[in-house]
Amino acid sequence: MPRYGMVIDTKRCVGCADCVVACKTENNVPEGYCRDWIVQDVQGDYPDLYMEIRSERCNHCENAPCVRCCPTGASHIVEGGIVLVDHDLCTGCKACIAACPYDARYVHPEGYVDKCTFCIHRVREGKDPACVEVCPTKCMHFGDLDDPRSEVSKLLKSRPHHALIPEAGTEPKIFYLY
Amino acid sequence: MLEFLKFVIAGFREATRGQRLYHLWMGTLTVFILIGVYFYSVQLREGLAITGMHDHVSWGLYISNFTFLVGLAAAAVMLVLPAYIFGDIDFKRVVLIGEGVAVAALIMCLAFVIADMGRPDRLWHMLPFIGYFNWPSSLLAWDVIVLNGYLALNVVIPFYLLYSRYRGRKADPKKYLPFVFISVFWAIAIHTVTAFLYAGLSSKPFWNSSILGIRFLASAFSAGPAFIAVTLYFIDKHSDFKIEENIFHKLGYIITVAAQINLFLLGSEIFKEFYHPTAHSHSAYYLFFGYEGHNALVPWIWTSIILNVLATATLTIHKLRRNRRVFLVMCLTLFVAIWIEKGMGLIVPGFIPSQLGEIVEYFPTMPEIFITLGIWALGLFVFTFLVKIAIPIELGYLHLKQSSTSTQGVEHA
Repeated sequence: MPRYGMVIDTKRCVGCADCVVACKTENNVPEGYCRDWIVQDVQGDYPDLYMEIRSERCNHCENAPCVRCCPTGASHIVEGGIVLVDHDLCTGCKACIAACPYDARYVHPEGYVDKCTFCIHRVREGKDPACVEVCPTKCMHFGDLDDPRSEVSKLLKSRPHHALIPEAGTEPKIFYLY
Repeated sequence: MLEFLKFVIAGFREATRGQRLYHLWMGTLTVFILIGVYFYSVQLREGLAITGMHDHVSWGLYISNFTFLVGLAAAAVMLVLPAYIFGDIDFKRVVLIGEGVAVAALIMCLAFVIADMGRPDRLWHMLPFIGYFNWPSSLLAWDVIVLNGYLALNVVIPFYLLYSRYRGRKADPKKYLPFVFISVFWAIAIHTVTAFLYAGLSSKPFWNSSILGIRFLASAFSAGPAFIAVTLYFIDKHSDFKIEENIFHKLGYIITVAAQINLFLLGSEIFKEFYHPTAHSHSAYYLFFGYEGHNALVPWIWTSIILNVLATATLTIHKLRRNRRVFLVMCLTLFVAIWIEKGMGLIVPGFIPSQLGEIVEYFPTMPEIFITLGIWALGLFVFTFLVKIAIPIELGYLHLKQSSTSTQGVEHA
């Protein structure tokens, strides 16, 4: 059983938001919402400034608080550790939105909660998620974190990296290379 | 069966007659309920987009009121415990009123949760056995059990007592006392579960605090009895059901002690947030002092703090608390203060700033406010309805044999 994750090279990312556009098109995300987004994180004081550009989305956490708190089991984990929302089971109670430390979820105009699926329909066909596929600088990598020969494992082994808000204890599966 | 039917008919007849003030009160509430229903129909058609909630603040006025009202419901235990278990004669007289408040509050709670749902048509998914009930993992699933269970307990116990009295029989303590014991623990459970719903979220440092459960209970046990005291005053004034001074005194003690503990706990939280602020104190800054130029809740919360301190200090002085008028005004003050603090003052800042560090403030919209008012009107309607039937039975005006020729114009507003 694979354990899917994503590795994003912040040194290569130019913040073009092509991943955002690809996701919206691929998943028919309604106007005004998005399942992934760009963060420009500026650190330091002038003139010693450093900017990290990140493409962010659901972290498909190992220890997902959204799955734990969902009253109907609409939020669930499927093969590869991908966290999904069953749109037909979701009552729109928004407990998962409050529980998510990454702000990855939103209420769809149809009343249910929606978020990134790691493009599971594509992954099942052996393709990369749409955001990874379109990246013009090839800064995003998707694969099995448990397979030592996968690209993501090799990158994590060879480069310093960090995950977002690890202190929340959710064990996120998206990693950013410094 | 025939007796039960007669009971229902007599009860309904009792609830539908009264003096002009009674009809005026119920009529006004009905108008508000209907306005609420209209706006809810708009919300059903347009979705939650007509509310002020958005991507960043996804729980607003509805869940704020829900949180507060769970406390109001739990507060009935402050009458149930002394009345049934310690056999307090004064509280035994009014315990049914407390249980009436609990029933009304729980109905409002459930209505607020449904109003907040994006897909209320799928409510049944949250029910045990027939739905996809994620228990015991989800705290919301626990909430479904504890709230509905508590509603059932607070309907069944008073119903049994009133029905026995209506039929002129003595209620058998063996039949109802076990349920009373359960309901005492259950009352504490409903508010603890609701507190854990928030305290369990590591993503929201503002709520992720071990003090939240006990704070909820302290605020509930002051605001709830304060509300009951005010309703008792109106019942005393507008019906033949006279409330002795002693009941107000005892309620006053409970309210005062709980309010003092509540204030201490609030102070502990404020100390922890501001003595050495961390990255987790942003929400508290937003709430109390404003954060990066956004300060919508600042006047709101300081109103609450001032009212809270004023009410607690006044009630602490025996002489002032024993003055009926001062006592009632301070009960109302405390009720409003805690409604602000535990409602919007607790829920909204949890989402500000958002996890991405963005600050988007929340303001309820007109439809949202009218739906909220409608649900409150519904709760008061249910409460008045229950009390209107319970009082003549308690007083012995309404009982089985004479039910057709009953009533002496018992009035309540």
